[in-house]
Order: sequence, then structure tokens, then C-alpha cells
Amino acid sequence: MADVKLSNIKKSYGDTPVLHGIDLDIKHGEFVVLVGASGCGKSTLLRLIAGLEDISSGELHIGDQQVNALAPAQRGIAMVFQSYALYPHMTVFKNMSYGLKIAGKGKDFIDAKVREAARILHIDHLLERLPRELSGGQRQRVAIGRAIVRDPNVFLFDEPLSNLDAALRVKTRVEIGKLHKELGATIIYVTHDQVEAMTLGDKIVVMNQGRVEQCGSPLELYQHPATRFVGGFIGSPKMNFIDGKVAALGGDHIEIQLSNGCRSRACVEAGDLKVGDPVTLGVRPEHIDERSDAGTMLSGDVTLVERLGEASFIYLTLSDGTEIVVRGSGESTVTTSEHIKVSFAPHNAHVFDSNDRALRRLKAGNVHSTAELAQLKAVGQEAF
Amino acid sequence: MSQPSSIQRRFPWHILFFLAPGLLIYVTFSVYPLLDTLWLGLFQEDETGQRFFAGISNYKTLLLDAAWSEPFWNALWNNTKFFLIHMLVQNPIGLFLAALLSSPRLRLSNTYRTLIFMPTMLSVVIIGFVWQLLLSPIWGISEGFLYSIGLGQYFDAWLGKESSALITLALISVWQFVGIPMMLIYAAMLSIPDDLIDASVVDGSSAWQTFWHVKLPLILPTIGMVSILTFVANFNAFELIYAVKGALAGPNFSTDIMGTLFYRTFFGFQLQSGSITMGAAVATLMFLIILVGVMLYLFVVQRRMKRFQL
Ligand SMILES: Nc1ncnc2c1ncn2[C@@H]1O[C@H](COP(=O)(O)OP(=O)(O)O)[C@@H](O)[C@H]1O
Ligand SMILES: [Mg+2]
Repeated sequence: MADVKLSNIKKSYGDTPVLHGIDLDIKHGEFVVLVGASGCGKSTLLRLIAGLEDISSGELHIGDQQVNALAPAQRGIAMVFQSYALYPHMTVFKNMSYGLKIAGKGKDFIDAKVREAARILHIDHLLERLPRELSGGQRQRVAIGRAIVRDPNVFLFDEPLSNLDAALRVKTRVEIGKLHKELGATIIYVTHDQVEAMTLGDKIVVMNQGRVEQCGSPLELYQHPATRFVGGFIGSPKMNFIDGKVAALGGDHIEIQLSNGCRSRACVEAGDLKVGDPVTLGVRPEHIDERSDAGTMLSGDVTLVERLGEASFIYLTLSDGTEIVVRGSGESTVTTSEHIKVSFAPHNAHVFDSNDRALRRLKAGNVHSTAELAQLKAVGQEAF
Repeated sequence: MSQPSSIQRRFPWHILFFLAPGLLIYVTFSVYPLLDTLWLGLFQEDETGQRFFAGISNYKTLLLDAAWSEPFWNALWNNTKFFLIHMLVQNPIGLFLAALLSSPRLRLSNTYRTLIFMPTMLSVVIIGFVWQLLLSPIWGISEGFLYSIGLGQYFDAWLGKESSALITLALISVWQFVGIPMMLIYAAMLSIPDDLIDASVVDGSSAWQTFWHVKLPLILPTIGMVSILTFVANFNAFELIYAVKGALAGPNFSTDIMGTLFYRTFFGFQLQSGSITMGAAVATLMFLIILVGVMLYLFVVQRRMKRFQL
């Protein structure tokens, strides 16, 4: 019905290019999250889709229509702003009905629409209040309500949760997810928070400096980051990176000589790598084991231990000065300045070439099969 | 139990101590002269210059004796017209210019702002002199200018005619001071968040609808403040009339306003001898008129107008 298609969209402010050619296909009903560091052009892209900024070059289609030159109101979109942008002098009812009134809709129609949206969002009792008489969460709902009443094909959200406190953020996040199911509309959602992105998105678009780094489902991004940037961006704490050189090429793996002197095996496709090429090994903190026998062994000095209860984040400095983080168990007894040995399995390693492109992983994801988990457990018990 | 209450009963001298400097200055330079003026208006002088208490007889003379009341009502009515012209011309133009200036598409907006504000920084005496030269039927350039654009037959000695002198002076004053409402309203418009305007654009409202439904309600408090400032300034006006028309506010008192009336009454002019006590009575009436105006604004208008947190 209303697919959104971006073809080579570019945007410059004066001589400063901000977006360098964005291609994106969004299917009707999809929940797409644009995520990236602050200043990478997410808001700009959203504003281009909304029609609040002119597209410098490229084509934007919503539905079957090329909408580059259409005014925002004619694009069938609605936008929820980070600051909510509620009209401070209008009651909640008037805030929500303003767009319909401008469009010349009848009084009864407007009334029905607004009450319907208010019911969905549980703000029926607030309709006569002014925005300043509402809490942050309620304002957020009104802002969403103002979008819903217009029956848009595409909802645009620009960091809608960043003005809420932590508890409310989680709650509202869940509700936005439910709302998406209920409305069945396309949602394009901007955030810099990767947890929001992972939990909400059917599809995540990771942006970096005005370019799309990678686009895919949450698990795809987690298991198969296409670039070093995505590897570091998705996941918390960040993926650890250790420099190294290709030492040997096997059939289903390569061997890497790491900068700290260790030799590691990684289950990736070698592509056109040759022995001696510089590469970066990436491994997530949650894939490094406090035991020393899971595969590649690393040893280093503990500089800090963060105890979260369910887990401990152990900060290690390797012999060559590389710093890594290990997600240890909550009961870990490791203490600062201790020298410890940790290890990770070859199938959990990511490898990035000198252009920061990832090599295709061969066994990623399989590790979560129950059989393998059981096997891993058995190995663990043996070790103790 | 008796301890705290005895502490409470002690007089808070330190508060008085800290208030004293400001209070002293305020009383000496504001309250005392005002009260003295009010008081002076209740006296009269005999031929020898001896003052005696005369109750409200000065006011009776001013409001009821035709020789005094005619100039008084004339000045008050002229002053009201002067004010209305400012309200109807200066403030709408100021609002319009502010709206143009705050448009993000306008280039050189800082230059325009400075240029429009420039006359406000000039002395009223210079403004009066310049406009007198411009509009003079003898050496003025405006007649030639109007002829050159084909409107010559509309030229008239506007400043010299009873029917048009006051309006012309009011428009000169508007020209000079339009920068002030423009600046105040412009500042208020800048404080409206961009998101709000974007939201209304997404809601489908045109530039005009956005202005009318979103911007205007949000700057209403500023417009109210501009109005009351205009009111106070207009009822205290004097310099422009005096610079262009002298204290007689000609022709035939058609440009006489409260300020010039007060000047003639207090200092005297040509055949009229000055009277300090009568002058004080006129000053008191001016004060009361402004006071009533400001009170009406504060208690009737401003109460209904809510400031919105943006
Ligand atoms: N109106 C503008 N004029 C010039 N540069 C802008 C403008 N808006 C944004 N930018 C620049 O574009 C880049 C991307 O901004 P933005 O899209 O807001 O980033 P994000 O939302 O991802 O944090 C930033 O470097 C910012 O400085
Ligand atoms: Mg942003």
C-alpha cells in the first residue's frame, strides 16, 4: 500500500554534504529504525522524508508516487518530534484536531477521530488540559495521538523517548511496539539508542557519517555485522577489537597472529585474504569466557570490575596494551590488578579486513542450537 | 517553647538595612517628587507670589472653566488620536516586519533589522528637523519626488494644515519608533521553537495559518506589552511636537498634546505666563490618565492573557 523507497538520496547544506546517497526500501507495515551516532544525519533523513527539508538529489517514493516536490501534508505522513512540539496554547483536544481542522474536516468527524485516538492511547480524560498540565509521558502520548488522527500511511518518529526518564522509556517503548501491531502502519523511527533499535525494529538501518553502513534485522546485525562500525555499534558493552595479521588459511577458518602474541582461529571465509594481510579480530564481551580453555586464550591484567549483579564486566589490559572487556558471571571473584586468563571460541570471532569490511562468518548463530549448548555445558563441567 | 517565639518577635533589622539604599534612592528621586507634584497642584499663588492652599480649585478651573478646559480637552483628544495612530500603524507594521525578519528564507535580515532600527537611535530633534525639511512645500524634496512618480497632485503642505498636521506628526513618530515593537516582537518570535513550526507544517497549515494559529497566540503577551509601552510613551510625548511645531503646537493648537499643554502651563509661552501650581495640576492629570490606562491593562487585559511555557 505505502511502501517507502529512497533512491540515492543526497542532501547538502550549502557546500556541506550531510547525506551521501541513501538507498532504502521500506515495505508497507514495516517498523524501520534508523540508528547511528549523534550527528550522522538521521534527523536530516527523516526530515527529508517528511518534506521539512528539500532533497538535494535523488528520488523519494511513498506508495506509487514520487513525492520529492510534495508538501508534507500531502505525503500521507505524520511526525512525532523529540520535543513533542505540542502547541502550548491549545488544549490536548485542539492539539490533536488542529491538522484535521486545517484540512477542513467536519466537526463530528474530527470529534470521532480524536476520541478514538485518545481511547487507544488512554488519554481520554486529558482532552481539556493544556500541555503544560501534563507529565512528560502524557505529552508523549498526545504527540503520538496528534499523528494517529491523521491516519497516515507512514509514521515518522524522531528520538521520541529521549526526553523520558529511564523507567518510562522502557514502558513507552513497549507501548510503541504494541501500537505498531495495532495500527499496522509503516513506522520509521530514529534513535541513537541501540537497545531501542534492537527491541523495536523489524529492520534496522545503521547510519554512519551520512551513509548507510548496514541494513537488516536485529539478529542479522548482531551476528553478521558487515563493517567494523556496525560491530562496535550494536551490542553493549562494545565489541572488543584486537589487531592482528593473517598467519594461515584453512578451509573453514583462518588463523590470525594477534598483536599480543597469541594465535587465534576464526571461523570465517577467507575471501581474497593472503597470509600476512593486516586484519582486526572482533569478539563480543559476552562471548569471552572467564575460563581459559574455550578456544583462543588471552591473558591480561584486570584494571576494573563492574558488578551488575547478573553479570560482571571485567576490564582487561593485554600484554601489548590493547584493552578488552569480558562479561563474566555475576558471582565472579576476579579482583582489580589480578592477572587472569580468558578465552573465546573460534566460531564467535569476527574478522574485519584492512578496509573494515567483515569477512563472512561460517558458523555464526549455529551455536545457539540446543545440542551445541548442551555440549558446551558439558565441556564447562568437565573443566571445573 | 518560649524561645522560638521570642526569636520571631525580634525585629528583622537586617532586612531593613539591606533594603535601605535602594529604598532611599527610590523615595528621593521618584516618590517624593511625585507626591510633591500632587501636593503642589492643590495650591495657588497670588500676585505677590505667595502660595496658599486652594483645595481642588485648580482642577475645577482646568476641567470646567472654558478658557482652560477647551485646550485641555483638545490636548487630550489629540493625544488619544496620536496614540490610536501608533496602535493602528506602528504596531501592526512592527509585527509585520518582525514576521518577515524571522522568516528563515530572508537573507541579510541583520542588515534590515539595523536599518529599520536606525531612526530610533537618532535624536527626536534631528528627526523633526529632517522631516520638516523633507515635507516643506518651499525647499522640501517630497513634492518633486511625488511629481516624478506621477502623484504630484496629491502633494500638500501636510505639516501646515490643521486637518493633517497631527496625523503627519504621528506618522513621523511611527517612522522613527517602529523599530522598537519590531525588535520586541522579533525576539518573541525567535523564542518560538522551530519544532512547533515544523509540527504545524506537517499538520498541513500554510505559512499564513501557522502565523495566525500558532505564532500570533504565542506572542500575544509581547504585543500586549508593546501596546502598554506605546500608551505610556505617547501620553508622555512632547519632543517631536515641540521640535517641529514649537510650544504653541500649531496650526491653531491642532497638534497640541498633553506634553505641550503642560509645557505652556508650567513655563509659560509668549502671552501666557507660567504657573507652577497649575502646571502641577496638569502633570497630576497626565499621571492619573496614564495610571488608569496601565491599571486597566494590568487588571483587565493581562489577567486574561496567559503566558505559555514554550
Ligand atoms: N540546518 C542545517 N544547516 C547546516 N547543517 C546542518 C543543519 N541541520 C543539520 N546539519 C548538520 O547535519 C549533520 C546531521 O545532523 P542530524 O541529521 O541532525 O544528525 P542526527 O539526527 O543523526 O544526530 C550534522 O553534522 C549537522 O551539523
Ligand atoms: Mg537528531
